Amino acid sequence: MFSLFNTPTWFNGIDLIFALVTLVISLFIARYSWKVYRLTSENKFKYFSIAFGLVILALCFKLVTYGILYFNPVREIVDVTLQPITQGENSIRDLFYRAGYFLQMLSTLGAWLLIFFVSQKSRARLNKFYEVSQILLFIYLVVLISIVGNFKYFVFYLTSLVLLSLIVLNYYKNYLNNNRNENSLLVMWAFLLIAIAQVFFIFVFLWSSFYFLGEFLTLIGFLLIFYVYRKIIKK
Amino acid sequence: MATRRSRLELVFDILVSIQNKGGKIKPTHLMYKSNLSHKLLNDYLEELIGKEMVHIEQIQTKKSISKMVHITEKGLGFLEEFRRMREFTDAFGL
Repeated sequence: MFSLFNTPTWFNGIDLIFALVTLVISLFIARYSWKVYRLTSENKFKYFSIAFGLVILALCFKLVTYGILYFNPVREIVDVTLQPITQGENSIRDLFYRAGYFLQMLSTLGAWLLIFFVSQKSRARLNKFYEVSQILLFIYLVVLISIVGNFKYFVFYLTSLVLLSLIVLNYYKNYLNNNRNENSLLVMWAFLLIAIAQVFFIFVFLWSSFYFLGEFLTLIGFLLIFYVYRKIIKK
Repeated sequence: MATRRSRLELVFDILVSIQNKGGKIKPTHLMYKSNLSHKLLNDYLEELIGKEMVHIEQIQTKKSISKMVHITEKGLGFLEEFRRMREFTDAFGL
């Protein structure tokens, strides 16, 4: 059995419920953004929808990987299924867990990167060539970090923190530019909470219960996003 | 310098101009309120009539026939949806 870091056993399974709630919220946001894209044909809505689609993907990988790790019966079934490939070798079996973590990290970082680019106002963007080369560089870094993150997990959370901090900054500017609109402020706070959660994940080696705090803050952040969404839709 | 309005924004401006006048307006007044040329307004009105967001009423006066543009339930529904989309855009910085 392979895991990136120790998590409190009492929280095993509950974090998957948190992930499921976050997944459902992301589904609502992705679906509505796609609907707006269909009406307006503006690409920014498509990219925003894809970003939350990546969040959904990351959470699916998390649910599968952690679900196998946490629950013995499931792990035994997977071990038996993979037996022809792993031949009982732990290192090969661990590769599958690493693949799960890698895909989760890649999707998560991809989502934050896309949200960062989309939340930048067009006047802050540079000319097309520079923008394309910038995007390619970021994609390369995201893939690299997702590989390295498998061996040094804090690299992934540190990168998430950096990207989310930039997103928070963009949303703060958005709040100021939108006549201090309440919804803009709430969205900024939502991403700020998710960013703070990454700090707890980085320091989980000090105290495993930091994992619970990180997951809890992430859930609150997404619940705030859902609250803003419902507030807008219900009007 | 003001940015060019998108197609959807133009439709919104037309419909909101009608809504602001109690749900009906003369075509000439609509042209000034929505800041569109005569030809462009006619093109959009044709499209909106086709989509049943507005309908034209012909009013017989003593000397001539005048027209009134009315907004429909579908048009009002579009306005609500567009306002939600705009709030979503503002909230999420898109």
